[in-house]
Amino acid sequence: MKRRTIATRTIVPSREVQRGIIGGLMLLGGWEAATRLLELPTYVLPPVSGIVQAIVERRAALAAAAGYTGGEALAGYLIGCTIGIGVAVLLALFPWPRRGFVSVATAINSVPVVGYAPLLLLWFGTGIESKIAAVAFAVSFVVFISTLAGLDRVDRRAVDLMRSFGAGKLAILWRLRLPTALPLIAAGMRVSTVRSIIIAIVVEMLGAYGGLGWVIYQAVMQIDFVQVWAAIFVASAISLVFFNLIGLAEWKLVFWR
Amino acid sequence: MAAASKTSAGLFSTGHTVLRLVAGLAAIAVAWQASVLLFGIRPYYLPKLSVVLDAIASTPAAYAASVARTAAETLLGYVTGAAFGVLLGSVFFHHKVLKDTLFPMFVVSQTIPVIAFGAVVVLWFGNTLFAKAVMAFYLTFFPVTVNTLLGLQSVDPAQEALMKSFGAPHRQLFWKLQFPNALPQIFVALRLATSLSLVGAMVGEWFGDTTGLGVLLLQATYNENVVGIWAALLVASALGTLFYASVAGIERKVVFWRAEQ
Repeated sequence: MKRRTIATRTIVPSREVQRGIIGGLMLLGGWEAATRLLELPTYVLPPVSGIVQAIVERRAALAAAAGYTGGEALAGYLIGCTIGIGVAVLLALFPWPRRGFVSVATAINSVPVVGYAPLLLLWFGTGIESKIAAVAFAVSFVVFISTLAGLDRVDRRAVDLMRSFGAGKLAILWRLRLPTALPLIAAGMRVSTVRSIIIAIVVEMLGAYGGLGWVIYQAVMQIDFVQVWAAIFVASAISLVFFNLIGLAEWKLVFWR
Repeated sequence: MAAASKTSAGLFSTGHTVLRLVAGLAAIAVAWQASVLLFGIRPYYLPKLSVVLDAIASTPAAYAASVARTAAETLLGYVTGAAFGVLLGSVFFHHKVLKDTLFPMFVVSQTIPVIAFGAVVVLWFGNTLFAKAVMAFYLTFFPVTVNTLLGLQSVDPAQEALMKSFGAPHRQLFWKLQFPNALPQIFVALRLATSLSLVGAMVGEWFGDTTGLGVLLLQATYNENVVGIWAALLVASALGTLFYASVAGIERKVVFWRAEQ
């Protein structure tokens, strides 16, 4: 078993990627073939070629919508990461309200986004503010929890060592605890990317002036399912780009892992 | 049915937990009501808890029917999704080629906003309980698959070697070592999936339905009925909390040696 894992790590990466690509091609091919052979009506499942064609034809509108949604998601993401990391660091420095704070945050987070989205729309209006707020809220929780877990992972002996050399709380935080926590913080940030796009779209579908969620909602109302799938493809693509960008940043930043 | 009896056993055998839960809820209720009264928060932002409870109490039948419907959708999707997730994770663990071929696509599928998918699912399966269960299923199976795979892969190679050296067949290796070892990880995903499956069911109800918590929420949103939104939210989070507590209770029974709380 051990030998097998070592072997897979050194030789196979390219083969894994190959298999993934083959799987993707098989899915797209099977999809295309199924829609053509079974002559499925487009409202059941449009062929991939039809969806791609629709994306190319409506690229201007879709790009504008993707930019709108991406902007909301990015703004909310940055705010959420700042709040999440900031609050976790504050709690690491001043730990007394921690238990209560964590349990309240967990309780609030257990309410699904779709639940509080209507309230955010009422409070912040139909514009981009409500989407940014929803994304920031959800992202800050995930990043907060993973940052807190990361800061806790520090080795007691390392802290004692630094303290014995006269390092203060802030120095220990900056030179030891934050670098130790970085892999977990980055993992939380990476997971949040996809979530931020999805949440922006969900809130847009409930009410918006633009964006992919708005496009999807309009298309559903007009029973234009090629447009729905086109928007879904674009949403999926920008999620993947966002995810990989943060993954790349993580790879550069947390170089030692 | 077996699951239901197990649920109640897990939940109520630990009276202590229930007591703490009730105390926590009471504290939140008091804090809610008091903060509205003390700070004079406008009902538009946060209505008094008593007003919200009144709204639920004045039409209890509607809420009861909605809870029953949404709970049925959620549970059906959750149970099938969890079973499928564990199965898929185990299959991926044993067949690496299959994992490499299919897993990337499952990852990509999770970047699709479920709400967009909702319209299509309702179209495929009709406006039935089943269509909403499919949404819950879709959100449940992925985290369970991932954690099953991770849990199975995290087995100590030394233990594996020991069992193999005593001539344990593959089947025994899986059921006696790998699967029990993966259970704590699997349950982490199962707990996470409780709220996800509830979201799936509620979003599924948005695409045209007459009963369900998602319907209540959507109607209240369109009427800008803030009390109605809070009432639906309150009931939904009560259902979600109960669901989560039930799964956590089962977890304590099943993974008695190491429940990650």
